[in-house]
Amino acid sequence: MTDEANYDGAFDAIVVGAGLAGTAAALTMARRDLDVLVIERGTAPGTKNVFGGVMYTPTLRELVDVEDAPTERYVAEKRYGILSDDGDETAVTMRPQAWNDAPHNDSFTVIRRRFDEWFAEQAVDAGATLVTETTVTDLLKENGTIVGVQTDRPNGAIEAPVVVLAEGANSLVSEGADLKRTDDRKDVAVAVKEVRKFDRDVIEERFRLSGDAGAAYHYFGDGAVGDTVGGGYIYPNKRTISIGVAYRIEDAATRNRSPEDVLNDFKHHPAIAPLVRGGNMVEYSAHAIPEGGVDAMPDLVHDGAVIAGDAAGMVLNNGIHLEGTNMAIESGYHAGDAVADAIEQGRTNARALAPYEENVRNSFVVENLEHYDFFHELIADDRDFLFEDLPRALADAQREYFRMDKTSKDEHVSRAKARMLDATGGWFGAAKKAWKYRKVLS
Amino acid sequence: MNEDWNIVVCVKQVPDADDVTIDPETGRLNRSDAPAVLNSPDANAIEAALELRERVGGGRVTAITMGPPPASAVLEVAVALGADDGVLLTDRAFGGSDTWPTSLALAREAEELDADVVICGEESTDSSTGQVPPGIAAHNEWAQLTYVEELEPRPEDDELIARRDVEGGYERVGAELPVVVAVGFGENDPRTGGLHRKIYAETEFEPDTVDATDLGIEDEVGLANSPTKVGGMDTADPVARENEILESTDELTERIEEAM
Amino acid sequence: MSDVNVDDYDDVWVFVEQHAGTVAPVSWELLAEGRRLADEKDEALVALVIGEDVEEIAADAIARGADRALVADDPVFEPYRADPYGAQFRAVVEDRKPDVVLIGGTHTGRDFAGRVAVPTMAGLTADCTELDVDDEGLLLARRPTFEGDAMATIKCPDHRPQMATVRAGVYEPAEREDGQAVGDDPAEREGAIEFVDVVVDEPDTVSRVLEREVGTVADITDADVLVAAGGGCDGDVAPVQELADVLDGELAASRKAVDEGWVEPSRQVGQTGKTVRPDLYVACGISGAVQHLEGMNDSATVIAINDDPNAPIFEHADHGIVGDLFDVVPELTAQLRDGDDRRVIDA
Repeated sequence: MTDEANYDGAFDAIVVGAGLAGTAAALTMARRDLDVLVIERGTAPGTKNVFGGVMYTPTLRELVDVEDAPTERYVAEKRYGILSDDGDETAVTMRPQAWNDAPHNDSFTVIRRRFDEWFAEQAVDAGATLVTETTVTDLLKENGTIVGVQTDRPNGAIEAPVVVLAEGANSLVSEGADLKRTDDRKDVAVAVKEVRKFDRDVIEERFRLSGDAGAAYHYFGDGAVGDTVGGGYIYPNKRTISIGVAYRIEDAATRNRSPEDVLNDFKHHPAIAPLVRGGNMVEYSAHAIPEGGVDAMPDLVHDGAVIAGDAAGMVLNNGIHLEGTNMAIESGYHAGDAVADAIEQGRTNARALAPYEENVRNSFVVENLEHYDFFHELIADDRDFLFEDLPRALADAQREYFRMDKTSKDEHVSRAKARMLDATGGWFGAAKKAWKYRKVLS
Repeated sequence: MNEDWNIVVCVKQVPDADDVTIDPETGRLNRSDAPAVLNSPDANAIEAALELRERVGGGRVTAITMGPPPASAVLEVAVALGADDGVLLTDRAFGGSDTWPTSLALAREAEELDADVVICGEESTDSSTGQVPPGIAAHNEWAQLTYVEELEPRPEDDELIARRDVEGGYERVGAELPVVVAVGFGENDPRTGGLHRKIYAETEFEPDTVDATDLGIEDEVGLANSPTKVGGMDTADPVARENEILESTDELTERIEEAM
Repeated sequence: MSDVNVDDYDDVWVFVEQHAGTVAPVSWELLAEGRRLADEKDEALVALVIGEDVEEIAADAIARGADRALVADDPVFEPYRADPYGAQFRAVVEDRKPDVVLIGGTHTGRDFAGRVAVPTMAGLTADCTELDVDDEGLLLARRPTFEGDAMATIKCPDHRPQMATVRAGVYEPAEREDGQAVGDDPAEREGAIEFVDVVVDEPDTVSRVLEREVGTVADITDADVLVAAGGGCDGDVAPVQELADVLDGELAASRKAVDEGWVEPSRQVGQTGKTVRPDLYVACGISGAVQHLEGMNDSATVIAINDDPNAPIFEHADHGIVGDLFDVVPELTAQLRDGDDRRVIDA
């Protein structure tokens, strides 16, 4: 009566993780009539997932009806601010009217617990099997080929021709099976996030919103995350506000301040405090973000397995663009497609699965990662200027430029310019920096 | 001598108690956002049932639940842990039932299943009356054992002995079969079900479905047959506390002396 | 089921729970509240006693305010078992038709009450913390739900009797009238105590008590002062026990302390432990998780000692100190002991 069931070989593919990449893969395969088993360690999909954040839905739109998905607000405004640790803020805010019309630039805030659960339901409705509260601890290998997974349940081993590894940033299984080396500290960011509950009108008033409109605020500079490389963010949801910081783990380890302290300081910055004060804290979480870019990507394809999503390092963070969700869904989709093709052809070795890697490399996922590859080194090298000097210089220059006294405006302009040039190292220095950072915006 | 016992375990699907909120605008309980989960004390009941079967050396464990169709999810949980089968008692007619008709339905099904032992959780986290187990026993005129810490089966005597938690101590009581047991909350450590069993529960397992007419009680259930009615629900005023943080133990000593 | 004629039902009954001659404190508490309800409804208050050789207990109930007592006296009722108590009580209810029946919410009361309520189709509300009557004399029974976040008011408009099991410690116990000892005036008592027919025969019973051990294990639900040890004690509960001793109270514990084996399970307070309502509850090294609060939030005064200023317990305490319990608790103990000594000297 107990455990007479045995599902070895009953499934065409096992997906490790019911996050965005895993579910996208499972949904795609289920629609191609594959028998798919998704194994999720949380009590439900989404309970173990943390992001800022904004979900970008172009690929999602191809898989499901986004209007049915539980989203919070669409992004009607993007704001980028630079904060000095003296309390100054310089910001640019953008509200193109077009973002207020569907499809709202395919940018929405979501609550992961609700969204991921709904998304996984779509995969189950399409025929996938989901087991939760089960953690995959290892891959099963036979002569170097991956033939299944080992989980933490009794009788917890199960075999299938293909394993899709979508285990997220904490990719212990891939690492344990030597498919991926442990991320270098400089390639991972620590993220800490707080969610606070407010009355709807408070949120709408503070962020100048109405209806389903929302906003995405991003900040960097010493006033945001202190002595590290990273940034802070604020995203209003329907009835909550997400506030967080993300910065290099290397800095976390070396700089002697806890992530909680960094988040607290961010929240207390004079530009931030009025936006986030009050309310009730309803969630506090921490997570890792892969930031190694293209160079840190592991081999995506192996005999009997593929790696997708955050586990494959597919996250773009260049301060302006913070994208992981769309990359995860796109890579999951390609993974599912390639696996379905391979199963149909009856071969599941690395060669048969290779189209997955090809397609992902030809998609925006790797193209964007390659384009911005330079970013982290560049920023890290110039940290002091970008995060410490620049915010202060801007604030000083603005103060000077806009100073109201009886001196002529001419004088003010000169002094403001001088202050800026002081920070950049003269005109020549400024030109060098402009050249250096030309690729960031382009 | 009966070495095989028919063990029926009653489970209930409830809103996740941690997620039920009070709507700040209306002051009313908001259950709709809370996911539906297995009533936590029932996890101890399922574990007790599985352990009992092991100790008796044979038998069948059937999980039963009364609820709308989505309630079959808790039967899946029971089967994933090791229960042999599940029965869903579902019928519009059950709507609005208090413990009287609820325990009647469960009692009739337990009889149908020829139960030797019916095991329930101590109480449910939503209504928490703890009256369903005695109700089942009363409807069937069976023996009962509540607030059970430990079970000791005596199949050779058709008897079940239990250690009951009583105020200031314990007692050991033996009951003739058939008997209804209510297991104390937290009295055992629910096991983790095997992987393949869990897959079975999620995929191939289908509970049997039974309605009020099948049980012959269509005129004895529902709101009309519920002697108790909920006259109102309101948020409990949180106990007003002074929330005074003191600096010195002297002050605290004073407060303690005042309180005595 | 046909509706009963509610007018046929009269009187407020209170079950007097006793084991081997010792009355459970909750019974006297309910007698006091029963008196109040009976007066409001202009009905009589009747004590229900079941057991062996319990006439004195019946007399005690009358001395404490009951108008009459009904007694079922027989060896079959000692020790307590659910089926004989249920069958007997049910028979008396069907015969005498009470309007309201109050039973203490102990592991005895909540065990057998259903065996009365089900065959009589009485309305039974369990684990109440508040009772009242509305304008029509209908019993309003209030009880907590959802881990105490909400209160439900339950009514039983069309069925009788209206039954409720009530939590211990909610009401003050009924005292004997001034100067009166039990059995003082037998003449006045005559007729007030009635022995009813015993309907249960030993061969009919379906259970047997093999052993019953009470008094060897602490009953923290009875204590006026509880000092509780939590995870912060890290294995050493001696200072907490000393504080309990100097306050003449009992040691209690959080689930963590019990799971770790530092304190015995009978002293556990909380969702999977006991619900307590002492006059004073001192939480030492307890964080204040919801599951623990549910068990002690009705304490009259709560004191919290914890080294984490953000511990939720402080939001649910009247007075607190942020500090190391191994410093604070012995200091308190010493100060209270000195205080005691001073009081003795002053007296």
